[in-house]
Amino acid sequence: MRILLVEDDIPIQEFLRPALEEAGYEVDVAGDGKTAAEFSAANAYRVLIVDLGLPDADGLDVIEQLRSAGQLAPVLILSARRSVDDRVRGLEQGGDDYLTKPFALAELLARLRNLLRRGNATSVAAEPTRLQVDDLELDLLRRQATRSGESLQLTQQEFVLLEFLCRNRGRVVTRSMILEQVWGMRFQPDTNVVDVHIYRLRGKVDGKNQPPLIRTLRGVGYVLGGS
Amino acid sequence: MFSAEAKPLLHSAAWRISAWATLAYACGTLAVFLSLHLYVSRDIERRNDAWLAGEVEVLGDVAERTPRDSLYQRVVEEVAELASREVPNRQPNDSPAQDSVFFLETDPASHQLIWVGPGSGAPFLDALHRVSAKNDQPFTLNAHGYKISYRVVMTHIDGGSSIFLGLSDRDQLRVLRQFRLRFAMLWGLLVLFGTTIVFYTTKRMLNRVRDITEAAEHIDQSDLSARVPASQRKDEIGQLAHTLNRMLDRIQAAMHQLHTITGSLSHDLRSPLTAIRGNLELSLTAASETSRQEAIIVCIEELDRLNDFLNTSLDVAEARADALRLDVEPIDMSAMLRSMIELYEPSMAEHGLTLRFDCSESVRIAGDLALLHRLFANLFNNEIVHLPTGCTVLVRLRQAPGVVQFHMEDNGPGFPQEVLDHIFEQRVKGTGSKGHGLGLAFVDAVVRAHGGSAQVSNSPQGGARIFLTISTHSSQ
Repeated sequence: MRILLVEDDIPIQEFLRPALEEAGYEVDVAGDGKTAAEFSAANAYRVLIVDLGLPDADGLDVIEQLRSAGQLAPVLILSARRSVDDRVRGLEQGGDDYLTKPFALAELLARLRNLLRRGNATSVAAEPTRLQVDDLELDLLRRQATRSGESLQLTQQEFVLLEFLCRNRGRVVTRSMILEQVWGMRFQPDTNVVDVHIYRLRGKVDGKNQPPLIRTLRGVGYVLGGS
Repeated sequence: MFSAEAKPLLHSAAWRISAWATLAYACGTLAVFLSLHLYVSRDIERRNDAWLAGEVEVLGDVAERTPRDSLYQRVVEEVAELASREVPNRQPNDSPAQDSVFFLETDPASHQLIWVGPGSGAPFLDALHRVSAKNDQPFTLNAHGYKISYRVVMTHIDGGSSIFLGLSDRDQLRVLRQFRLRFAMLWGLLVLFGTTIVFYTTKRMLNRVRDITEAAEHIDQSDLSARVPASQRKDEIGQLAHTLNRMLDRIQAAMHQLHTITGSLSHDLRSPLTAIRGNLELSLTAASETSRQEAIIVCIEELDRLNDFLNTSLDVAEARADALRLDVEPIDMSAMLRSMIELYEPSMAEHGLTLRFDCSESVRIAGDLALLHRLFANLFNNEIVHLPTGCTVLVRLRQAPGVVQFHMEDNGPGFPQEVLDHIFEQRVKGTGSKGHGLGLAFVDAVVRAHGGSAQVSNSPQGGARIFLTISTHSSQ
């Protein structure tokens, strides 16, 4: 899967390229808007990662140029600005996404996957009604979870949290990703609010004699299953 | 640097304003006077002419009726003499109208018959020969040797004789001259008086401007505490001073903010940077894989904290500078608070805290959801960090006309008194607090950006009490 990274900052290029390649993407890197336009015209990309602060142009203008040149792939915007301005918000509503620097690599990869999934209209139709990770089963219609056939007593919030973890099985999710997806809040939590929810959920999901499903990756976030 | 002494008076605005005002004032009054003068002189002439016409008729009558004997001349002379005493505009101390009136009777051949008047009638007769007089039509006569002209009326009487009655313009000219003289004196006084008043009023007014200028010059980068003198008056200059002072307040606040931030920024950045650097070095030399990973994890956590601190600092700074950008959307505050509480409740329970939420109605406002999330996260964080185990936090949300009232109270130890006085200032924190001292400054900033206010106090029982009002329709 080929993606175009438009980013002028060399240190960020240097860590993003191998990280994306390790995640299975084929990466082209453009350091400015002009190169980005050339790359975009020459190759077919599934998704674009565009930094807003480019040396020769504003990132949003570059996106508009690429769009008017026929580039249809979704864009993940990287912004160093804290408050996201209206133009970025407009693009977000148009199906693209944004991420403010500094970001967790896990979050970047998760957002990329989301963009790719949105691009695949076919997968939306095949939305599953059941999720299964090892011996954990989630019935999305009846909002019930079972582990090894035993029903788990989860609150509605805990079910949503578990569902989010299951949908990202084997992948790292960060605290801010959980906060955004489960509670609809986009901020960096100061204290261990999210951790406490995870501990409680883990207490219910991972029983005494069962192998733990929810693992903590300190400094990064959590992973469910897929050891 | 200049002062009033160093500045020549002629270059001052007060002088210019009063000079122009005087000019306009003087020209205006002069124009009024000229039209008055014209009117008065015409009126006097009209009255003189009417008098002349009346008198010449009487004299003609007398001349016709008096038989032409030896007494004739004396009778006519007497009558003319009497008439001259009734001259209009006559000054009471004048000698009998020796020269102000003349009477002349001529025969049909235009030879002088009777002359009553100054000197001999010859120069007048000469002058009369040069003009063509019409019956009963007043005309002006300039006799040789007489500087002042005469107004003359002629009438024919029986026997082909003509009677001329002349009235000197002297009295008229004198009246007008006095008129002008008095006006000139009064005018001079008025102009002088007006100029003085205008000059001193503008000078006083402009002195206030000068005071403002001088005060403003004393205000420089090193000392922003000085203020321009503001009077009680609400006029334009008073407003100018008021506006300048408000601007200075804002600049001073901003500068103060900047100094505080730069001062404490170095501390707040240096310690995590030191920790990160140290841990990274440790990870290079760590003996075991576990301790290497541990060092890196600490670095990531420190970096996250650093980033969060940076964001909040910038938000508070922006809000203080009234530059916080709100992305306003309709928000159900009660639903939002409920989910916030749902998020924080387990964490609070973990710390042994009980949370009670009291919100009866659905409370809707227009505001920035992300900022409000962070605001309440701050408040709940504060409770978690500062409250001892076993305390209860009460949260109440009420809808009042135009505002939403948020009330949060606990039964903990409350705010330390030294913190309470400067609670919303940046970097104020209790001794031993691990925070950056930004939390409540941020809360205050966000609430104010939403057209509300924040109040912090200790309850009579000693617990901390926070009261926020947020406008239901944010102005931004």
